[in-house]
Amino acid sequence: MDTNWLQGVLSPLTKPDFLHKVLAYSTSDPWFFTEFSFLAIFGIFLIFYAIFIQKNTWRKVYIIAFSLFFYYKSSGPFLGLFALMILSDYLFALLIQKKNGIVKKILLWISLSYSLSFLLYFKYANFFIQNCNELLGTSFINQDLFLPIGISFYTFQSISYLVDVYRNEIPASKNIGDYAFYMTFFPHLVAGPIVRAKDFLPQIIAPQIINLSLYKESLLRIITGLLKKLFIADYLGKYVDLVHQTPSGFSGGENLLAMYAYSFQIYFDFSGYSDIAIGIALMLGYRLKENFDNPYLAKNITEFWRKWHISLSNWLRDYVYIPLGGNRKGEVKTYLFLMTTMFIGGLWHGANWRFVFWGLAHGLALALHKLWKQIFPSSKETWYSSLFGTVLTFHFVGLCWILFRASSFESAFVSIGQMVYNTEWLNFTGFWISRSSVAYLLLIAAFIVFFPQRIKEKCFKLLLRLPAITWIIWIAIALQIVVQFKDDIVQPFIYFQF
Amino acid sequence: MALTKSSKKTSPCVSSSKPPSRWLIVWAGLSILIPVLLIYAYSAYPKSIKIGTFELKKLQEIQDNDTMLIAIDSNHNPLAKSVIQKTDSINTDSMPSNARVDMSFIGSHKSFIIPKYEFPQTTDSTKYRIILIGDSESGGLRYPLNDYCFENGHRLVLSMEWYSATILNFGRSDTIERIIARYKPTYIFLVFGLNELYAKDLKIRKNAADLLAEKLKGIPYAWIGPANWQEDFGINKVFKSSADTGTYFLTKKLVLPRAEDGRHPSSKGYRMWMDSIAVWLETEAKYKISMKVPTKRGRPFRSSIITLNAVKFRGY
Repeated sequence: MDTNWLQGVLSPLTKPDFLHKVLAYSTSDPWFFTEFSFLAIFGIFLIFYAIFIQKNTWRKVYIIAFSLFFYYKSSGPFLGLFALMILSDYLFALLIQKKNGIVKKILLWISLSYSLSFLLYFKYANFFIQNCNELLGTSFINQDLFLPIGISFYTFQSISYLVDVYRNEIPASKNIGDYAFYMTFFPHLVAGPIVRAKDFLPQIIAPQIINLSLYKESLLRIITGLLKKLFIADYLGKYVDLVHQTPSGFSGGENLLAMYAYSFQIYFDFSGYSDIAIGIALMLGYRLKENFDNPYLAKNITEFWRKWHISLSNWLRDYVYIPLGGNRKGEVKTYLFLMTTMFIGGLWHGANWRFVFWGLAHGLALALHKLWKQIFPSSKETWYSSLFGTVLTFHFVGLCWILFRASSFESAFVSIGQMVYNTEWLNFTGFWISRSSVAYLLLIAAFIVFFPQRIKEKCFKLLLRLPAITWIIWIAIALQIVVQFKDDIVQPFIYFQF
Repeated sequence: MALTKSSKKTSPCVSSSKPPSRWLIVWAGLSILIPVLLIYAYSAYPKSIKIGTFELKKLQEIQDNDTMLIAIDSNHNPLAKSVIQKTDSINTDSMPSNARVDMSFIGSHKSFIIPKYEFPQTTDSTKYRIILIGDSESGGLRYPLNDYCFENGHRLVLSMEWYSATILNFGRSDTIERIIARYKPTYIFLVFGLNELYAKDLKIRKNAADLLAEKLKGIPYAWIGPANWQEDFGINKVFKSSADTGTYFLTKKLVLPRAEDGRHPSSKGYRMWMDSIAVWLETEAKYKISMKVPTKRGRPFRSSIITLNAVKFRGY
């Protein structure tokens, strides 16, 4: 054996700063599931997990410890803040459960305010200051704030838990370890899916038994997620970045393709992340709920929101739309509540007016669809009306994604303007020749997205029949594909920042 | 989702008294750990695995970018020890001394042998035979350069505009050698990089840039960096590290008016750019050349023009 090679392989382990690199946190370089270092450490974590698997308490302690380490690697000292939130939620929930009437309500509001205060401060303080300065002519200085990773997600989990306890839908957790496990469980910690306590807490007491089919399913989910995120989404992302740097420098056709590319990129990025999260959780014996259900096949915007980021849309429905009044307070208020819900949904995605307008555009579309259904309640569904609905919904969603992706309102309007006024359709030939890899990948992405669900299910079932011993090879092939197309700077998960 | 539905039928999802298999979990851990370790081990392996013409990439190559840029900052040539790969068709040892060069090679796939050509030494410091080679930027820069050549007695013999070309085209192909052999310049202006500001495969481009620098040895040149329309990922550093000391002009520091596309300089921008290059050529450049400000602008352009498109012609 070549000793130089062996030395090369082992050299990172022998470096004096090796341990420091493994253990130190980096807020600028957070730990993703797609990092090879994470996968290696997760593999080691699993091997030792076998020791604790039969004793539930030790199993929980082991997973909580790893989850805290995972969070620490991304957010460092903010781990303390997170722990404080967990402790306060736990205590408030016990108090809320014991009290009745107005005291119970006051306790709920105090606990919600406390939970939300972190999110409001870290995410929206500067947005508030900027708008104050512009509207009132004040001159407050922006704060140098770091947004703790995953705060938008775990704050929503905290709210759902407190509200569910208040509504007596679930009992308050008597064991702080169980609640800490629910909040810190690393597969959903930084970018969802937003897990509900009532779905997850029972699993902590009685996790699934890991058998061969579960093992294969979890690996298939991890492989699918890695390929979706690192192969398709990141590669399309390069083209999207290029066009959105200066949309005026590209023809309408190229801008249109960038719109399609971003629509696919954000879907493969986030659903890929969700796949990895679900796969990792499954490997540990816990099942997270699905977050996507072929959203681009939706026939209307209402259906789209039932299929896209399901955990968030369900959360907004249950904790914002319905508490506001839902459809129980008359038509006009229903539309108003819809717009308010989507306004909050938009703002949740980012402290920027672009996200607010994106949310409002979706809110308006939802209201219009509701109105349409009221005017034509019994309109028959034919194959061509379904097709038209799917195409229209996809393009509306894609157009709104431009607001999401563009660096500014101006840039978004330039991109849309190019599509309208500078079409140059003949340039598609040039595009095909010069950016053939992007063109092929767009076709592959479209094929996967629009492929009939039942055929996808059959393919998955066939793959699950592959012998367990071969899965190590499939993982190796998937990782090599990732390396083959990987960029030196991997795009962070798009939903990581929210 | 399909997986959820299918698994619900096949896996016992609820807790049972049956203890979970420890070995299965160990195997699950190994299923992830072993492939990752294999990828790392392959990255450290000195040779590359090829399946036909398809080469398996290494993780290390991707991660090397940052290390390379740091090395460039410290004035090290990160590829100094590695073998610079040349295209097979360049074989300077077997060239006939009287090799005749024909420009018909452009656009054809005819094999080509570099002629043995001694570049003239720069004894005359006042009159140069200049060629301008570059991407689309050269198409804009040639007119102000032409004015400067008129004013200072140089002769701009060729402007070659290779649309959409990158260092991979200029460095890896024989095209530049062929142009040099045909036009026998005594000074070369190179300007490109606008199409690769977003490039992140810097190691590959560094290799190509070193190849290009090899081709230019023995002849004075000015390597003009791209007119950045966005921050690059290190391509300017790569070019500068490959070019001889004092031959690289860092354009990105200039603020230039842009054309409607937002990327290329406007005609005013090209003129301002050339004015800055001229000052640098007279004062700081390694190969100094007389570049007095022209008294008259918009001189007639009589030089040869070669226009190529990298989409159709990638070079040899």
